[in-house]
Amino acid sequence: MTARFNLNDSSVFVVIGSGAGGGTLSNELAQKGHKVVCLEAGPRLSLTDVVNDEAVMFEKLTWLDRRMATGKPDPNFPVWNCKTVGGTTMHWTGACPRIEPYEMRALSTYGPLPDTTLVDWPVTPEEIAPWYDKAEVRMGVTGKHGLPFLPAGNNTKVLEAGARMCGYTDIDTHNMAINSVPRDDRPPCQQLGFCTSGCAVGAKWSTLYTEIPKAEATGRFELRPESMVTGVNLGADGRVESVTYLSKGRSVTQKCRAVSVAGNVVETTRLLLNNRSERFPNGLANSSGLVGRNYMRHFTIQVMGVMPGKVNFHRQTHLAGVVRDERIHKPERGFVGGFLISTVPFTPEILAKNMMIGGWGEDLTSVLDKYDHLAGLLLTGEDPPQLSNGITLHPTERDGYGLPVPVVHYEDHPNTIAMKTYAWKVGRRIYEALGAEKIVEMGDFIPATHNMGTARMGTDAKASVCTPYGRTHDVANLFVSDGSLFPTAAGCNPTLTIVALALRQAEHIDGEIRAGRL
Amino acid sequence: MTSVSMTRRGAVRSIALAATIPFACGRAIGATVAAVDRGAAATAALLRVAFPHGRLTPDFYRGVAETYLKEVAAKPAAIAEHDRGLALLDGSHIAPFADLPAVIQKGLVEKIDQEPFFKAILWRGAELIYRDRSVWKMVGYEGSSLEYGGYHDRGFDDIDWLPRAGARA
Repeated sequence: MTARFNLNDSSVFVVIGSGAGGGTLSNELAQKGHKVVCLEAGPRLSLTDVVNDEAVMFEKLTWLDRRMATGKPDPNFPVWNCKTVGGTTMHWTGACPRIEPYEMRALSTYGPLPDTTLVDWPVTPEEIAPWYDKAEVRMGVTGKHGLPFLPAGNNTKVLEAGARMCGYTDIDTHNMAINSVPRDDRPPCQQLGFCTSGCAVGAKWSTLYTEIPKAEATGRFELRPESMVTGVNLGADGRVESVTYLSKGRSVTQKCRAVSVAGNVVETTRLLLNNRSERFPNGLANSSGLVGRNYMRHFTIQVMGVMPGKVNFHRQTHLAGVVRDERIHKPERGFVGGFLISTVPFTPEILAKNMMIGGWGEDLTSVLDKYDHLAGLLLTGEDPPQLSNGITLHPTERDGYGLPVPVVHYEDHPNTIAMKTYAWKVGRRIYEALGAEKIVEMGDFIPATHNMGTARMGTDAKASVCTPYGRTHDVANLFVSDGSLFPTAAGCNPTLTIVALALRQAEHIDGEIRAGRL
Repeated sequence: MTSVSMTRRGAVRSIALAATIPFACGRAIGATVAAVDRGAAATAALLRVAFPHGRLTPDFYRGVAETYLKEVAAKPAAIAEHDRGLALLDGSHIAPFADLPAVIQKGLVEKIDQEPFFKAILWRGAELIYRDRSVWKMVGYEGSSLEYGGYHDRGFDDIDWLPRAGARA
């Protein structure tokens, strides 16, 4: 079933990364009849490797090679993404909101915002709508296309009750890529409560057990796990002719027709910046100087409430509970853009670690002593693009592969600070309305899981890295297929949009190949 | 090296050696055991100040302290830093840190809570304490649910105290 391609076969399309973008693009191209080799840095696990233990799964799934940061993020662990087949679709919560039309027209809606590079997306809401449909059907998103919503668990019921008392009305169990009914040869959600540690029953969509095996079944797809790409090699004609990767300590080169990079923002940036040549002295496809710039991540802050009765918030699907009323553009609130209010649980250990940043002692343990009475909500809001936020390569530090260590620099924009301040108050009010005994506001301590913007799409080659189809302006057969493409971040989880763009890109690539241009 | 800075592993080795010449080293054994004891007692006290749970026993904190000391003993820089920190706490009042009233202990820790040794024990201590099954039971965390079919039929939506829909704050 699974194909084996010769290293000299220059008709293969190489996809780097097997997550939401790379896994989807690989399968879609294979389904359309093209030969695909997918190079994934991490190992291939199976569902039997997934256990309900956050500490164990953190070690199994997480990208732990050295990274550094300056500014706001943790200096040693700025980004929380995965190094495994399936990429960060193993760790994601499954939340699938669409980017709203007003958010895709960010500059038009918000107007110029100082110290940002706000733009309108080069893809219109009308253009992307059918691709959202296609992505939702493919991933089995609840509350869409006839699929039932997931049932509401305790944490969701608390959020809903408090939110309704505050006058909010747009509330449900969210549009989730988690089966609410048996579907796609996968069972429905069993409310395991370990969504971000890999779904042990496979109810949550992950490319590991959806896109990848389906691509293999075509006989036109080869997955090569534990393959760390180091080089994207150009021929004399300025097109990519091969890709070099490290596999079991050996350097291997695969010839190719074209390449797409979908390594999640940090790795995509590192690969491009680290491939310098006479033609591209500042990094591959970086004539604009924008590769690695405009790095965006959503703020993810939390409010915990010690409630009057038991909640047992660990017993349910993490994010299946949402209030959408604040995800609007309403400048009277003192900021542009909006945010989502979702449910979130923590294990005692992670709760303690997040709270410890604010202190220790009874402040900490009095909350942990009431663990079973805790309700938790997550506030996730739009992050405007800033040229100064970005990813660079450390001049001397090297990781275990001998590659330059990526350095993430990020600072909050004043708009983000204003939105966070408002959002904390909103979260607090929701639990106060229900008579919470104690409320804890927690900061932006979770390393970024939503990473966007460092190879933005646009029509102007001087002001963007990629075309509206995610092809680099500079290299005719080099694509980007992850969140790097986002020109702005919107106020919602990015995965559904990454998948929709990958499906749309696959159709474009298919057309280009058939027209003899790729 | 102060007596406080004896590592547990080092101390155990000393005891084994000393046992072969009991007469000559009788006093040394006593001193070593006392030093180990003081280090463990101070570490346990520090963990209790950082993570004060009324329902956890002194033996529990002592057990976590011993595990922590065993771990840092393998890292010379970490044990040196930890011992330096304990010496700071022990040397800053009229009696050893472990013997002081809780309110004084808390005041002393507030003065050193930005020290690397404290941040290290706070981080690792949280893992050792909040990964402990007895602590899960105490706070009501139920852990792995896969083997029980998840919480779908075990109370994921059993909340019974919420106000009825339609109420307004």
